[in-house]
Amino acid sequence: MASKDATSRRDDDEVCPVCKSSRYLNPDMRFLINPECYHKMCESCVDRIFSGGPSNCPVAGCRKTLRKNKFRKQTFEDIGVEREVDIRRRVMQILNRREEEFDSKRAFDDFLEQREEIIMNLVTRVDVAKTESQLQKYATENMQSIRTNQALEVEEAHSFQARMTLEQEEAKLRRQAARQEYEIERRELQAGREDFLSRLASGSSTDAAAIAREGHKVLLKKSSARRSEEERIRQKQAALRGTEGKRGASGLSSMESAGGPDTGLVKGLRKIKTPEPEKPYDPFMGYVPEKRDYYSLQSYYPSTYLDPIRQDTRMQAGGYDLGEYYSRTLLEAFAGLSCFVGEEISQRDASKPVATEGAAMAATGGENAS
Amino acid sequence: MALSPFGSRSPSMTVHSPNTAIRLRASAVQNSASGPVASAKAAQNGDRELTEQLNIDVRDRYVKDKKLGEGTYAVVYLGHLKHNTSSFVAIKKIKVNAEYKDGLTMDAIREVKYLQELAHPNVIALHDVFSSKDQNLNLVLEFLPGGDLEMLIKDTDIHYGAADIKAWMGMLARGVWFCHENFVLHRDIKPNNLLIAADGEVKLADFGLARSFADPYLNMTHQVITRWYRPPELLYGARQYSGAVDVWSMGMVFAELLLRVPFVAGNTDLDQISKICEAFGTPTEDNWPGVTKLPNYIPTDNGQRIPLSGRDFFMRQFPTAGPVGADLLMSMCALDPRKRSTAVQVLRNNWWTIDPRPTSNEDLPRKSGGTKKMGDDLTRRGGELDEGLFKSAARQLDFGPIK
Repeated sequence: MASKDATSRRDDDEVCPVCKSSRYLNPDMRFLINPECYHKMCESCVDRIFSGGPSNCPVAGCRKTLRKNKFRKQTFEDIGVEREVDIRRRVMQILNRREEEFDSKRAFDDFLEQREEIIMNLVTRVDVAKTESQLQKYATENMQSIRTNQALEVEEAHSFQARMTLEQEEAKLRRQAARQEYEIERRELQAGREDFLSRLASGSSTDAAAIAREGHKVLLKKSSARRSEEERIRQKQAALRGTEGKRGASGLSSMESAGGPDTGLVKGLRKIKTPEPEKPYDPFMGYVPEKRDYYSLQSYYPSTYLDPIRQDTRMQAGGYDLGEYYSRTLLEAFAGLSCFVGEEISQRDASKPVATEGAAMAATGGENAS
Repeated sequence: MALSPFGSRSPSMTVHSPNTAIRLRASAVQNSASGPVASAKAAQNGDRELTEQLNIDVRDRYVKDKKLGEGTYAVVYLGHLKHNTSSFVAIKKIKVNAEYKDGLTMDAIREVKYLQELAHPNVIALHDVFSSKDQNLNLVLEFLPGGDLEMLIKDTDIHYGAADIKAWMGMLARGVWFCHENFVLHRDIKPNNLLIAADGEVKLADFGLARSFADPYLNMTHQVITRWYRPPELLYGARQYSGAVDVWSMGMVFAELLLRVPFVAGNTDLDQISKICEAFGTPTEDNWPGVTKLPNYIPTDNGQRIPLSGRDFFMRQFPTAGPVGADLLMSMCALDPRKRSTAVQVLRNNWWTIDPRPTSNEDLPRKSGGTKKMGDDLTRRGGELDEGLFKSAARQLDFGPIK
């Protein structure tokens, strides 16, 4: 809007500093600037000079090489403001850390101050080379987090827009409902009155007072019933809105896992702990099946004791498996070979004080004090 | 599974060992002071005192709070450690039974014998055992407030999916595998013996019918495992069997989790056999060599023989399990116990690693009111069906269109 104001100003004296043609002669003249040097010139000059590729700025004393695609309309009348806004936008796009990425409010404030300092340095041309290199370094190092934060910002803007339109829609509906309600009430009042009059006309004069009272009561009842009905609908809608809002919020919070290492430029960033990748499901949960440390199991052991079983189809049919017998016998023969009771006891005793670390610390603390 | 006998979970053992040592030393000193005759007497006396003292020490560590449930066989109390009111335990008090005038019931002995050997996240932990007055046996068990799987299966308000079933089955299979790896048969696997801990972990409970296996020349009873979960070899009266019986029960639990009704629920043992034949096919010498030699085998006419159900039957009946899950279930429900998967083979199936990934414990569906359920579950005698259980559920499954 500001740009429109700037260009639509019918200032006949305005003159292009390059070709010296004035608005008086060329009423459709529009001025463009290039953020490289912010020298103003008219559209036809830009076409004329830069259509053939990059060229030097035609303003005397300015040697900046300009490109046509960088020319744009001026937003602010003051070129200084225009330039500061451009710089600010660029720096903000790079240093786009969010408050939730910092350890404390203090750290975030420090970051904001630092950003402001960088912007002012660039605007006032103090330490430009150093600041630029700092920015460049930061941008390359934190490409990922910059991108995610940009995406977050875009999403926030979208959701804000959506919320605003929703609210407007709701307000419109509310207004409509109110109008409708008023209309219905008015119509009912009218109908009640007519009814009352007709009943008065047909009935005797003695029960006129009774009819009047009754009519009034019915009217009241109707309106209160309607009100409660509407109240219920409104509550339902509010509940619906609530859940929707929550869903939106949760969607946003799930996005917040951006961040990177504590770089040299920005201090006090929260250490982001990436969630450990889920381990593949182990059906045995760490136990080792068929662990045989001291022996290997064979499928056949010659034994006259077991021969009758090998021939017994009934046992075989019941599912009896001699392999299990071999396995159990060997397990029992070798069981306990790797167990050292003494070691287990000392380990258990050693592990005990750990559980009461607090007590131990308290004890040593007491000693120190005395 | 090299487990040292010293690795007991019973905290009382470790706490009281110094005490024991002192007492022993004291008695030794006493013995050496007096003559040999007197010393033998004193030792005897000291021994009895020692065991009694140990028992009292253990008993005094726990406080019974309130009764959770009572059955014909046991009473279950909620209890806690005396010095820590937030550490809950379930104390199962075995009733002195009229049937066993001298001694304890087999169930109690089995439960203590096998539970004290097994330490695994998917097997209920036995913390301590002590006797209270009147020589009642008290088992201090892990407190599992999450109820049992049966409760979740029956509650139609609870919705669970393939990932949840996979998580539960994984925990069940690990518990069963661990028992088998240590040569213990559970012999009563069913949804209401699968208790759920506060963190959602499924634990194998009720070892009242457990026993060790693989002993040749030692017959085992075939009257075990609740009927609906009993494998065909037990129904046919096999006296020697293996871990395959538990795997069949596991398969039935799997099917029940998928269907939310018991898969083959017979009213009598004979009915159970015919239901199994209807669902999986008739056992013959071809598909189960030696089956006709089993003591209670009932021959079927050639005309009534039902062919073995193939993959497509399982795929159609259990679409939620997916093709790999249906294959796994099929391998767990093989009629011939030798062709059935073992617990290790079940766990090595690639169903566990394919999508969907099993739900993590904290996200598993749960239900309140599990405390009372635990009381009921622990008081039931092994192998019994709850009266009125699944009364409203459709017991007759229609296999008409399959034939």
